Amino acid sequence: MRTTARTAPAAVPADTAPSGTPKAPGTGDAPALSLRAVRRTFGPTVALDDVTLDVAHGEVHCILGENGAGKSTLCNIVFGTVPVSSGDVLLDGAPFAPASPADAIGRGVSMVHQHFSLVPTLTVEENLLLGRSGLRPDRRALRERLAELRADFGLVVDPSARVDRLSVGERQQVEIVKALLPHPALVLLDEPTGVLGPAEIDGFLSTVRRIADSGTAVVLITHKLAEVMRVGDRATVLRGGRVVGGGRIADLTPERLVTLMVGREIGGLDAVLAATLGVTGPDVAGPPAHGPTTTRARARARAEEPAILEVRGLTVLGPEGARRVDGVDLAVAPGEIVGIAGVEGNGQSELVAAVSGSLAPEAGSIHLAGETVTRASPARRAALGLGVVPEDRHHEAVVPGLSVAENLLLGRLREHRRFLLLDRRSMRTRADELAERFDVRTAGTDAPLSSLSGGNQQKAVLARELSLDPLTCVVAAHPTRGLDLGAVDDVVTRLREAAHRGVGVLVVSSELPELLALCDRILVAYRGRLLGPVPCTDPDARDRVARLMMGTAA
Amino acid sequence: MNLRHPLSVAVLAAAAALAVSAVLAALAGATPVEAGTALWEGMVGTPYAVGSSLGVMAILLLVATGFIVALRANLVNVGGEGQICLGAVAATAVGTALPESVPAALALPAVLIAAAAGGAAWASIAAWLAVSRGVSEVITTLLLNFVGVAVLLLAIHEEALLRQEVTSSETLPQSAPLPDAAHLPLLGVEGSPATVAILLSLALAGVVAVVLARTATGLRLRAVGLSRPAAHRLGLPVDRLRFTSLTSAGAFAGLAGGVLVATAPFVLAEGLSSGYGFSGLVVGLLSRGSLAAAVLVAGALGFLVSGGINLQLAAGVPAAVTQITESLLVLAIAGSAAWTVTRARRGRTRGRTVRSPFRRPPVDVSAPPDPPGRPAAHEPAPQPVGTTLEEARS
Amino acid sequence: MIVQVLTDVLVASVALAVPVLVASSGELVGQRAGVLTMSVEGMMLTGAFASVIGATTTGSALAGVLCGATAGLLFGVLQALLSVTLRANQIVTGIAANALALAGTTFGARLLFERGTAVPGFDRWAVPVLSEIPVVGPALFRQTPLGYALLAAVVVLGILTSRRTGWGLSIDAVGEDAAAADRAGIPVLRIRHLAVLGVGLLSGLAGTQLALSEVRTFSDNMTAGVGYLAVVAVIAGSWRPVPVVVASLVFGAAQALQFTLPALGVDVPFALLVMLPYVLALVAVAGLVTHSRPPSGLTTTFARVRAA
Repeated sequence: MRTTARTAPAAVPADTAPSGTPKAPGTGDAPALSLRAVRRTFGPTVALDDVTLDVAHGEVHCILGENGAGKSTLCNIVFGTVPVSSGDVLLDGAPFAPASPADAIGRGVSMVHQHFSLVPTLTVEENLLLGRSGLRPDRRALRERLAELRADFGLVVDPSARVDRLSVGERQQVEIVKALLPHPALVLLDEPTGVLGPAEIDGFLSTVRRIADSGTAVVLITHKLAEVMRVGDRATVLRGGRVVGGGRIADLTPERLVTLMVGREIGGLDAVLAATLGVTGPDVAGPPAHGPTTTRARARARAEEPAILEVRGLTVLGPEGARRVDGVDLAVAPGEIVGIAGVEGNGQSELVAAVSGSLAPEAGSIHLAGETVTRASPARRAALGLGVVPEDRHHEAVVPGLSVAENLLLGRLREHRRFLLLDRRSMRTRADELAERFDVRTAGTDAPLSSLSGGNQQKAVLARELSLDPLTCVVAAHPTRGLDLGAVDDVVTRLREAAHRGVGVLVVSSELPELLALCDRILVAYRGRLLGPVPCTDPDARDRVARLMMGTAA
Repeated sequence: MNLRHPLSVAVLAAAAALAVSAVLAALAGATPVEAGTALWEGMVGTPYAVGSSLGVMAILLLVATGFIVALRANLVNVGGEGQICLGAVAATAVGTALPESVPAALALPAVLIAAAAGGAAWASIAAWLAVSRGVSEVITTLLLNFVGVAVLLLAIHEEALLRQEVTSSETLPQSAPLPDAAHLPLLGVEGSPATVAILLSLALAGVVAVVLARTATGLRLRAVGLSRPAAHRLGLPVDRLRFTSLTSAGAFAGLAGGVLVATAPFVLAEGLSSGYGFSGLVVGLLSRGSLAAAVLVAGALGFLVSGGINLQLAAGVPAAVTQITESLLVLAIAGSAAWTVTRARRGRTRGRTVRSPFRRPPVDVSAPPDPPGRPAAHEPAPQPVGTTLEEARS
Repeated sequence: MIVQVLTDVLVASVALAVPVLVASSGELVGQRAGVLTMSVEGMMLTGAFASVIGATTTGSALAGVLCGATAGLLFGVLQALLSVTLRANQIVTGIAANALALAGTTFGARLLFERGTAVPGFDRWAVPVLSEIPVVGPALFRQTPLGYALLAAVVVLGILTSRRTGWGLSIDAVGEDAAAADRAGIPVLRIRHLAVLGVGLLSGLAGTQLALSEVRTFSDNMTAGVGYLAVVAVIAGSWRPVPVVVASLVFGAAQALQFTLPALGVDVPFALLVMLPYVLALVAVAGLVTHSRPPSGLTTTFARVRAA
């Protein structure tokens, strides 16, 4: 399999971005895309309200906002997967109301989705032919177009590779190629960089710039300011489904954009929150604030203590026998916060699954609080004090159909039995107490868990896992993903508190800035191995981790 | 009245199914009055009719109770028919092997326990395959039905097994009758064939209702049914719970088989359970997991089945009409499930859906198999890219 | 002697295997598109019933085929409405539809069909030379015209829906990830509707073949589970054409043994022969399914977010 060779420079020249004027004229004076007072509701929820904006030909128009601000809905409206409740959409000045993605594609709109929309069991070529061919696919025309895209944008894909064998970055490349195949007039990019590593993000952003420079209008949906500042021409900020500001990027500062997104001044923002937004890093003035030094000092003091969680030579096989985790060693000391960075799909998920007991390892051992738990049940691990915040909340962390109380106490029903029956009253008391302590906002702990917002669901998970007694170690996979800032703040605070109490914390995340701000040291998952560690106090930590993520030595 | 309420849908469906049946009866040459009278007579016309209707109800309720237990763990037991057969075979084997001197206090429980064990053993094949190999229990229980019916056939055709002593060429292929001690006692109503099985089925439904609603086991089954990965994560013995729930379903169906042979004429014969397995499944489906509803639905179907028999005898309308009514009812209710649910849930019904039921069957069999909804419909939660745990584990 | 026995067994096996094969090749396309049609049994039974009624009423076997195909197609419309449009549970509605078909045809036969009526059917036509091949010749090349036509249709269908064609790609994409297919501009619902209609048409024709080419009459529940075997053949064949064909042939042959072995005077309990194909199917499903991967979207329904 060929890997994607990238001809793009490592960084986009900053001077191409802020000019703000379209470089190639469109087909007319009308904007490529106009939204006029667009409104969309889902039941009682208003996802978009009175949204008006214009996207010119040849510009990168960034749509910014927190999770839940309505960014994805906006994209889905333009791409025909969601109709508007009211308002008008114009494409090149003509009314546009796509009934399906097929409609939208037919009118020259392409979209790159947040979650890839490739069919994993098909090859790249088959995916690219999908929906574009009748009985006999024209493979030759496709190859010609691929050669064009390679010449114009430096996009290289291997047509014969099966999609499920590609790395995340390669899949992204295929997604972009797929979007560009039909010569679109407008490309929608919905949170395209969420799963990419720093180097891949660089390459991706330069591709975006080239696409816009060729005259295509680009809508980039993101919550990362650094990206906006680098490639954007204009920005529109959404909050709670409404446009709260925007304009030419050249006229805007990152601080101004954050204030618009969050709705308050960013002065009091925690380092991790700022990192999540992408305000830290080289693009923004001021050094990133690091986590509380007390934790770090204590961690150093305890470095000699026996590790609370230790993994030796761990190997986990994937479904087709591939070594997803390959002989990994890892130790977490009490009171220490260890981060695992890396592009998704490098074995982090399987490592967490093996440590938490969801997946049996092929070889190696796992030790928790002095006991060997390599093949122990999740119940045994919980008894030894292992709290787990799984990465896929709906799939593994909670049972959305059960009540909040039931979710909180499902693992310890034995403590709530009277005669042969469940003691609902004591369950409620206990659940209310937990909800209060962990600030889980509910309409009562009898309400189904699915009625909670994402942030409160995650708080409920934390309440359950961090209230283990004893609690010796916490493994958190992407604990802040998809949460709004308030909830991110809460999750991070809780994890730090736990470390303060002497609990060992292992955090897996693909958000490097967040890890840098939270952890004592960072390991990098790369092709099933762990590289590093990189101490976060190291001034070059970001660059060293970024290099490790590409597999090059630090 | 809210037309989209499940109850109104059920009423409309029942009305439509009955209307179709009336038309069919008319096609068969019976005037609506004739057909109605025959049906009514067969349902409640005589103490005998009432008794046999309640007897059918008991059988259906037992099968449906088991179905509901398995459904709690998100396992769809389609294998009622085969489990009934195996239960009946086991009950006959034990019953005919008992010495005449055994008192009823021992013989009857022995026969019924054997029946439950037979059904449980049959279901455990599917349960084991589902738990250890991830084979859909729908397919396996379905196939086991055909095998189970054939096992019954084999048992009553082979003298080495359960066939009664062949004395002449006219000896029927059926078992010897069960000894008196193994007969289910009648309730003692004049002219009624009602047995204690009716009380037994109601009592068991009550016990199961309490276990499901009020005990830790019930909650654990529900958790496993709603999300296996989450239940596993929380330390529940997922495999054991799933195995036990499907095996219990088999035990209930097997018990129904035992009741069938322990009721007059007390022999195991071909066609012992003609369609009770399917009807029990219908009851389980229509009652949407509620045992109180199951009692009502089983009662209604019991009277319908028993009335249908009289329809054929008295009005000359093929008894298949009741089967038609039953299946139309299921189609109407299952078909309107997506339409029945509330608007808020519809909003969440999106293209991303659950993985294949070959590893994980749909959650509520009477509702469209969509994932439990997300709180915010407009911003889908991030999904893992690449290998998911579920795939990695299998 | 041995040759004669083998030939007879093979002839009977192929006779029952052809309907299974025709139905399972339709079902294969349906399942690849993500719809599990459990009502193949009912479609076959209905097809058999309609074809017999059609043939006896008009006196023409061809009219019977038309009736059988139409009945299967209408059944497919009903199932597509339930499985795709209404997003009902495919397993439940499939099994209920089978019960409806069983009861409906039983009822209909009481009203419309008299036992012992001569049913116009198709006569066998031996392919010259080929049918003279020992053992396999009579089994394969002495079919009825309907049989040849259906086998040809199965081959054509297999070619048209292979991965090499745009249609085949679309079918696989829809079954694997309907949302992704939708975003690629593929008409997901139309493809699924067509797939289920195809299952209905082919199953109806499979029932017609059974009734007009082989049995030449209608009896209650005459398919006796063959339709379920066709569904299981797709699963046991890991959703790949060649193994599905093999599984269909094996199941059909096992089903045929209950007629051939007693006829040959082999003394095996009848009940054992009755259970044989289902035991085989169970073993196949239990032994093979874990090594194969069903289409990810099988039995999942698809709908875009609607206007609120």
